[in-house]
Amino acid sequence: MATVREHGLLKPVSLEDALVRMSGLVESPAELAPPRRPTVVADLYRAFKEEGRRLVDITWDQHRLHEARRWSATALVESVCLEQLTEKDRFVVWSAGKAEMTAKPSADRMARLADKECRRWVGKDSVVASIVQALGTWSRYWNEEEAHHETSFTQLAMLAGFEPLSDDAVIEYRKVFPDDDLLRTVTMLAFSESIASVNYGQYMRQVSDPGLKMLFKHVGADEVQHMQYFISFAKALVDSGAYPAKEAFAVAHFFLREEGELYGSAREHVEDRGTHINWWDHLESEAGQAAAAPEALDRKRSLILHSLRRITGVACASAEEVEDTWMDLVGC
Amino acid sequence: MADVGELKDFICQKFCENVGLKAEELFGADLTLAEVIARSDRMTNSVDLMEAFAKSSNALRKQYAIRVRLPALSLDTPISQVVDLFVQECQQGRPV
Repeated sequence: MATVREHGLLKPVSLEDALVRMSGLVESPAELAPPRRPTVVADLYRAFKEEGRRLVDITWDQHRLHEARRWSATALVESVCLEQLTEKDRFVVWSAGKAEMTAKPSADRMARLADKECRRWVGKDSVVASIVQALGTWSRYWNEEEAHHETSFTQLAMLAGFEPLSDDAVIEYRKVFPDDDLLRTVTMLAFSESIASVNYGQYMRQVSDPGLKMLFKHVGADEVQHMQYFISFAKALVDSGAYPAKEAFAVAHFFLREEGELYGSAREHVEDRGTHINWWDHLESEAGQAAAAPEALDRKRSLILHSLRRITGVACASAEEVEDTWMDLVGC
Repeated sequence: MADVGELKDFICQKFCENVGLKAEELFGADLTLAEVIARSDRMTNSVDLMEAFAKSSNALRKQYAIRVRLPALSLDTPISQVVDLFVQECQQGRPV
């Protein structure tokens, strides 16, 4: 290992770095510092309001993280040994493919809603306008990453012998979600992603084929990253003071209450809304059972409570506490 | 504890205020919850409906010191059934 003298101290540098320095291609040691590891910007309101960061800075952070995390859907699908899959594995893959099909209309809605909402704040509150535009900008990465999930599972299901979904079915699953309050929408997506990540963890532990295990792991890790982004955007909206925390609580109550959205297709009564399809209502048979297993529900509850705390700064330990706090916030 | 008739009137009045519909429209046709959302200018979806029920429950708490837990109901439930459920909860007498 070569060394270089900095501030009177000898520091090790890689041979490549030493040669680049010797060649005169760098003018300061800072240029050779490893690039900052890309992460989700956790405090977006502060970043815009106090740190003076601009949309182009935040967009670069989003891009770097997206690029650093990319994986090949083609390579992972090819790594699955189809002969090793059980009937249950195949069915879970087929069900996951259908569920993931609703991610595109969700992301399309998000992009349109965010831009509409951003324009509403332009000239009134530049920080809120920037936060919302950052959300709309990020939705392109979200949409692209979700495409990996959908196409991996649907392709794998077909390779495993399932009939391809009809065009009518695909079009039905592509129905764009109706508009709602922005904070509610982003909070709901944080919860939806956390529930998805737990489901993929459940499936991952139940399969034996290493290729499929790895696919579930990658998809689940993507969902965790998406959850972090949605928490960050929702927190920034609340921190700005422009969106009341009661809306995040309303969504948490909607998920956590008895017979709430958390229980997905395992509920006694699942609404047929006609307007759009909620993926969690359509996990069939074994896929739905794994999603509603007691340990899975515990993990989902914990992640929802964690997300709610980070978004609003208010900690609740149970569904009852969420309901009580929400009711206090709505008044009468 | 107020009598059932008084409680029922109070609950109906609060539902009307919180969903933004007149009593004749809300209870005359005994609208389903899906119809309430469709007809009310204040409602986008079920979350708004739940908020209207939460506010009504809070009003009961303030007026009569009774705590009504919010029911999870399907959208084809008629509003009269929601009123009955609220009254039943009140009769169970869960203190604040």
